[in-house]
Amino acid sequence: MNQPARALVSAPTVSSARSILERIAAHLSRVVQGKETQARLTVTSLIAGGHLLLEDVPGVGKTTLAEALARSCGLSFARIQFTADLMPADILGAQVFHASSATFSFRQGPIFRQLVLADELNRAPPRTQSALLEGMAQGQVSLDGNTHPLPSPFTVVATQNPLDLTGTYPLPDSQLDRFLMRLSLGHPSPEVEARLLITRGRTPPVEELEPVTGPEELLGLRGLASELRMDAAVAEYVVRLAKATREHGDIERGASTRAVLAVGAAARAHALWEGRDFVTPGDVRAVLVPCLAHRLMLRSNVQGAAAREEASHLLEELSRKVAAPR
Amino acid sequence: MSAPSRLRLALRDLGAGAAFGSMVVSGQLPVWTVAAFALSLVFALLGWRVFAKRAKATAVLLLGMAGLLGFSVYVGQLDLVVAACSFAGLIAGHRMLSTPEARTDGQVQLAGLLMVAGGAALSGELIFAVFLVAFCVFASLSMGLAVVEAAVPEGEPLPVRSVVRPLSVGLLFAVSGAVAFFILFPRLNWNVAARRASPGLGATTGLSDTVRLGGAGTLKSNPRVVLRAHITPDPGVDQLGSYWVARTYDTFDGQEWTSVGGPKRSRQRVTLRPGGESSLHQRIELLPAYGARTLVALETPTRMGNAVAHTASGNRRTSLMELGGGEVRFVDAGLGYSYEATSLPPEEDASTKMTEAELGQLLALPDRLDPRVAELARTVLDGEKEPLAAARKLSSWLQREYAYTLELQGDVEDPLADFLFVRKAGHCEHFATALTLMLRTQGFSARLASGFFGGERSDEDYILRAGDAHAWTHVLVPDRGFVTVDATPPGNRASQSMAALQLLTGLYETLESHWRSAVVDFSLRDQMDVAQRFIRPPRDSGRSSTRLPPARVWGVALLAGLVTYGTWRFLAARLSAPRPHTATRLVDTVERMLREAGVRPHEGETLEDLTARLVREHHSLAEPLAPVTRRYLEARFGQRPLEAGEAERLLTPLRRYLEARRAPAPSSGAGSQRSAS
Repeated sequence: MNQPARALVSAPTVSSARSILERIAAHLSRVVQGKETQARLTVTSLIAGGHLLLEDVPGVGKTTLAEALARSCGLSFARIQFTADLMPADILGAQVFHASSATFSFRQGPIFRQLVLADELNRAPPRTQSALLEGMAQGQVSLDGNTHPLPSPFTVVATQNPLDLTGTYPLPDSQLDRFLMRLSLGHPSPEVEARLLITRGRTPPVEELEPVTGPEELLGLRGLASELRMDAAVAEYVVRLAKATREHGDIERGASTRAVLAVGAAARAHALWEGRDFVTPGDVRAVLVPCLAHRLMLRSNVQGAAAREEASHLLEELSRKVAAPR
Repeated sequence: MSAPSRLRLALRDLGAGAAFGSMVVSGQLPVWTVAAFALSLVFALLGWRVFAKRAKATAVLLLGMAGLLGFSVYVGQLDLVVAACSFAGLIAGHRMLSTPEARTDGQVQLAGLLMVAGGAALSGELIFAVFLVAFCVFASLSMGLAVVEAAVPEGEPLPVRSVVRPLSVGLLFAVSGAVAFFILFPRLNWNVAARRASPGLGATTGLSDTVRLGGAGTLKSNPRVVLRAHITPDPGVDQLGSYWVARTYDTFDGQEWTSVGGPKRSRQRVTLRPGGESSLHQRIELLPAYGARTLVALETPTRMGNAVAHTASGNRRTSLMELGGGEVRFVDAGLGYSYEATSLPPEEDASTKMTEAELGQLLALPDRLDPRVAELARTVLDGEKEPLAAARKLSSWLQREYAYTLELQGDVEDPLADFLFVRKAGHCEHFATALTLMLRTQGFSARLASGFFGGERSDEDYILRAGDAHAWTHVLVPDRGFVTVDATPPGNRASQSMAALQLLTGLYETLESHWRSAVVDFSLRDQMDVAQRFIRPPRDSGRSSTRLPPARVWGVALLAGLVTYGTWRFLAARLSAPRPHTATRLVDTVERMLREAGVRPHEGETLEDLTARLVREHHSLAEPLAPVTRRYLEARFGQRPLEAGEAERLLTPLRRYLEARRAPAPSSGAGSQRSAS
């Protein structure tokens, strides 16, 4: 892989980017306490230009996290509760007939926001899911022969309940591939829960969060991250890791090329977090499980959370075994 | 100018110095050119480019020197080739002192090449080969550094450390390959251009037409081998202790010995006297260090012949000429000679094949002989009438009463009287002269003989060194002929150089001998002979002959094949293996240091991971380790290479920390180690 000889991004820019990212993460940690790592990965996913899948039991702060992210970044926000009777038009919008002028006009659905929270995505029928996923993939919505571009930046944070799968429509693996990362918040630690009990009344509500950046600056950060240098050895390391997932005996289908690109994008964003203008093998390992675990198809029959957990273990094992470049 | 550039220039100048040295070893360059170049070299190595601002003006000096050399050639004092070589050295010296730039660099290197070629034309000595290799090494390193220097942007330091090592390795391969090529492939004799050959440095001037008392006194300590002889039948002793005669002298004028009698016609073989049944046959080689044309043989030589002169253009048979004093001399000049001689034991020489004039000189005394000499001889002999007994009596007395010394003072008017009555110390020529003249004063016929005394075993041959040169007395005994009587104290007859010096010289002589036989004189025919001997099937009368090569050929071929295959595999593996990144070597060092300090990372944990973990755990090791790791990551993946010496600077705090941990320690250190490992 040919790389330019000079560093693409000057240090001060990277330095200022890091401070912005840290301020966003600090905002998230104010409302979702004890989840610093997840907060950090959430911001990483946003900077990498990907969509995020939060998979966890209800009541651990998924919605709060997404809303806090939108507010911190100054993004327009919409929350869509996916239910079994949710129709595509409920998301995308519809053509409305105006009797007075005998014309139709397009009324935008909630998807036309910069950050969309698709709560309990697996409860909606596949047709509705597809409407959302198409928007995620194309960055635009097609309705009645008309194309409507989605705002920029556009990010979907979807949630799923991995335990209670009865009456749900689990996302197909091919659709899961569209999410850059999958995160699990998990229950907070007892100490955090106790602190929550004590400080509940004083915890600032999400509505009080002031933006620390704006959509334009966020786009700038995305552009900055995409330009960070990735050494040929690191790129080869990513490919070797992906290849190892494809050749592993317990994995039926390993990481796709889109997954490899996702790891690369996320690793670049992670490097920005670290204040570097280049990617290290450590950046790759840091984002490996969140980026790949939900994309692997295992040979075992386990489903849901158990499958995700097994995939995570396998990836951690591979990251130990596949030698990093020195 | 930066320091690395100084290194390159020093290498360039040393290369030119080596090239000039390859000519100097021939001993033919005029002293003033040697001095001029040596001065230039010293100035250049000190960085004093004294001609830098006046290159054109100082070039006039070269013109003057060229004129001087041309005049020397015109009047016949200097060979044209030598003059050309000297001028090449002067040009190189001038360029070395001029402004260092690409043009002068090229001129110095070109002059170096010319000088090496000149050195090859002037001599084929082993030392030449040493200078040749030195020139190759210095000049190649200098040119390699010049290429790197040209590629480095202005103002940036030259990465000397990182280029000198691969350059040196490449050079080692190149020199090895060149040596192998030189030995394995046939070649032309490189000495064909020389008109006359020289024995080189350290050679003795050998024998002269006269023996002057008070002459060369340091010859005794010269350990260079001048003669190698194979004697049949083999005496079988380590120290032969024999007299090797070169010539005799019968006329002494008070200062020096000479011989009467003129040259006779030259011929292939010279018979000096009738042979006998107990003749000793000698196959003698006079080495270049001998430096004269007089043949030497064990006393008493009867015949000499089959002489071959080793000249610059090859070996050729040479005629011999007999001169006065029993001297036999080669007609043709050569670097060295080989010939055969037969000798009788001295006691069996009954002949006195001498002219009347020569016989008459055996009692001649110098005109101004100190009368005390005859008086002293008379006193010592005390009426002894028998020549041999008288000689032995005088010899014993001289050995007892006089001391041996090599310390000589300047010319004295009467060296014999000075020896006998003033200094009472001298070397072999004083003792031999005193004995000869004291015998003559009492009416006994005697003469002075010169040559060598000794004979040191070397393999199956005997060698003589320059320090073995000696003088002794021949006393004429009726019915027995000349009998050797040596007045020099026995312990001072042979070479008196230091044992260590002899050992070193012996080593050098052996190398030189191999060099001559295996390189200089190793012709295409020799190579063919070696190959024929190697592949020819062994002759075995008891078995039917076969045309197949012997087993050793197959064995060597197999071995050569295996070695070639192994070398190829090794080189292929080395060349195809990715070269470790400079930063990777830093990681290797850090990990080794941590291992030695007992800090072991988890499975699959890289230095980056380990450092991140230690930082999370607020471990004290994180403080010295984090900067190293951060800089490593930048150098390895961020294209900000480590600068020269930076790795060592980075490692210093970490090393100090780990050494402090290792020292008998407080318990907290153990705790830290546990948490880190």
